[in-house]
Amino acid sequence: MPREASKTGWGGAAREGGAFAGYHPAVNFLYFAFVLIASMFFMHPVCLGISLCCAFLYSILLSGKRAVRFNFIYMIPMMLVAALVNPAFNHEGATILTYLRSGNPLTLESILYGFAAAVMMISVICWFSCYNAVMTSDKFIYLFGRVIPALSLILSMALRFVPRFKAQIKVISNAQRCVGRDVSNGSILQRARHGLTILSIMITWALENAIETADSMRSRGYGLPGRTAFSIFRFDRRDKIALAVIGGLGLYVFAGAAMGGLYWRYFPTTKGAFTGIYSISLFSAYGGLCLTPAVIELEETRKWKLLRSNI
Amino acid sequence: MKFKVTKGKITAAVIIVLVLVVSFVLSLIHNQVCIRDSAHTYGLFRYSGGGRGCGVFQKGCGGMGEGRGLTAGASVTPGALGALGDEDGDGADGVTGPAVASGPAATTSESVVKPTPAGIESRPGGVEGGLTAEEKLKLAASMGGSSPNVEKGSESYSAEQGMEINASTGKDQYLTDPVPEGKPVPVEPQNAAVSDKKMTCTLSVRCDSILNNMDWLDPEKVELVPADGVIFASQKVTFYEGESVFNLLQREMKNNKIHMEFVNTPIYNSAYIEGINNLYEFDCGELSGWMYKVNGWFPNYGCSRYQLKEGDVVEWVYTCDLGRDVGGYYATGGE
Repeated sequence: MPREASKTGWGGAAREGGAFAGYHPAVNFLYFAFVLIASMFFMHPVCLGISLCCAFLYSILLSGKRAVRFNFIYMIPMMLVAALVNPAFNHEGATILTYLRSGNPLTLESILYGFAAAVMMISVICWFSCYNAVMTSDKFIYLFGRVIPALSLILSMALRFVPRFKAQIKVISNAQRCVGRDVSNGSILQRARHGLTILSIMITWALENAIETADSMRSRGYGLPGRTAFSIFRFDRRDKIALAVIGGLGLYVFAGAAMGGLYWRYFPTTKGAFTGIYSISLFSAYGGLCLTPAVIELEETRKWKLLRSNI
Repeated sequence: MKFKVTKGKITAAVIIVLVLVVSFVLSLIHNQVCIRDSAHTYGLFRYSGGGRGCGVFQKGCGGMGEGRGLTAGASVTPGALGALGDEDGDGADGVTGPAVASGPAATTSESVVKPTPAGIESRPGGVEGGLTAEEKLKLAASMGGSSPNVEKGSESYSAEQGMEINASTGKDQYLTDPVPEGKPVPVEPQNAAVSDKKMTCTLSVRCDSILNNMDWLDPEKVELVPADGVIFASQKVTFYEGESVFNLLQREMKNNKIHMEFVNTPIYNSAYIEGINNLYEFDCGELSGWMYKVNGWFPNYGCSRYQLKEGDVVEWVYTCDLGRDVGGYYATGGE
C-alpha cells in the first residue's frame, strides 16, 4: 500500500513526529516512560498542571491544529465530566459545601480530587497520543526485538491495530462506494447490510493479514539468535546529551518523590509540600523533563529558519 | 551503540548529583522533606480501594452486618459493659474496655498517641486491605464466642413481637437473626409512620477505641481523632416520633456540621454508616468500622430499622476489632 509506505518509509521515519523523533529510540522511550509514569503517579497539583500543559503543548507541536481541535473538543469536556462524576460517589473530606439529594455531603475535597484525577487522565491520554506519533512500531521493535521478540511483535501489532484498521476500513469502503455498496448508498436497511458486508470484509482481511504477518516474520527468521536488526538509528553525541538530561532530570524527580518531596494528600483535607527550595527544585526538574522534546523541537525550528534565511 | 564515557557526560552527571545533594541538604535544614512513604499515591488507593473494600465489608456481612449488633442484657449499663469488655480482652489485643465505656471525660488528658511498637503493618489485614470476605469470616470464627452480654436471640419472642422469621434460615427477609428477649424488633423504615410529635433522646458519637490502637490508624487520619475520643458529646437531642437511629444521626451530624457518609444497603434494608468525621471503616485496620448501641445493647440489625423511643440512649462507637473492643462482638455461625 502506498499509504503505508509513505508513513514508515526510511526517509520518513526520522522526520515523522518532529525533531525529537529523529533522536535514538532509547532516548524517546526513556522520555515517554518517565513522563507517563510520573503523570500517572504524581497527584501533586503542581505536577498535574505541569504535565497537562506540557502534554498539550507537545501534542500541538506534533500535530498542529488537529491536536488543538481534539484537545478542546474532546479532552476538556471529558475532563469536566470526570471531575463532576467523582463527588457523586465520593463523599469524603472535611469541608462540607452542601448536601446532595441522597443525604450524603458534597465536599470540597472530593471535587478537588475529581479534578485532579480528571487532569491526570487526560494528560496521560494526551501523552499517549504523543507517544504514538513519536515511537513508531519499528522503533519499538528495534529496542525490544531482541530482548523480548514475541512480546514486542505482539505489542507493536496491537498498538497499530486501531490506526491500521481505520485506514483499511477507509480503503474498503472507498472500494465499495465505487460499486454503489457503501454505507452512504440506498435505504436504511440496505445501508445496514452494506455496513455489515464492509465489516465482514474487514474481519476477513484482518485475520488473513495477521497470519500473513506471522508467516512472513517467521520466514525472515524473526527472533532467531544471532539475527541483527535492520536499523537506521545511530546513537551519537546529541543522543548522549539528551539521554543524560532526560535520565538525570527523571532520576532526580523520582528520587525526590520517593523521599516525599512531592507529597500531597486530598483527604481528609488537602495539603502537602508546596513551597521550599526542595519542592521548587523538584517542580522545575519535572517541568524541564516534560519540556525537553518541546525545547528540542523549537530549537530545531529556529535553526532551520536561520539556515534558510542565510541562503 | 556503545556507551562511551565522555567529558560532557561526566560533567552532566556531576552537576546533577551536586544539585541533588545540595537541595537535599537544604531541605533537611528547612525541614521540608516529610519522610512519608510516598503518600500521594495513597489518594488513588483510597479512591478505588474504598469502594471495593466497602463492598467486601457489606457482603462479607451476613456475619458482619449482624456483627454490628447483638450484645448486652437489658440491665447492663454502658459502664458495666465496658468493664465486661475489659475482662473479655484476652490480653492479645490489649484492648481495654474502660476507655470505651467510661464516658467522654475519663480519657481526656493522657490519650496522646502511644508509641508504636509494631506500626501500621501490624494491624489486622495490613496496610492495603488484604482480607477477603471469606478470610474475615474465618477470622471471626477463630475469635471465639461473642462478647460477654451478647445474648442469643429468642425466636419465639421475636415472632411474638411481629418479626417474620423464615423457618428454614432462621432469619427474617433482611437476613436478621431473632432479637433477644425484651429487645425491640426491627421496624422497616418504609413502614414507619413519622409524626410531628417531638421527643427527646440522648446521642453521642465516640471513637475512643482508636486511642488504644493509634498505631493501626491511617497516618493521614490521626489529626481527626479528638484527644478524648469524643466526636459528639453525649447530649439530649430532639427527634420526631417514629424516626430511626439513622434519621437522628443524620440530622444531628448535619446540624452540627460533622461529616458523615452512609450507603443504603437494600439487602439489609438499612443505611450503613461508612464514616463519621472522616473516620471511615477500615481506617484503623480491616476489622474497624462504626457500630451503634441503644440503651447499652448493640442491635443485630441496621440503624434505619431501629425505631427510637422517648429517653433512648444512642451511642455510636468506633471499633478496631470487629466489635470485641467495644463489647459488641457477635459470634456468627455455630455456638
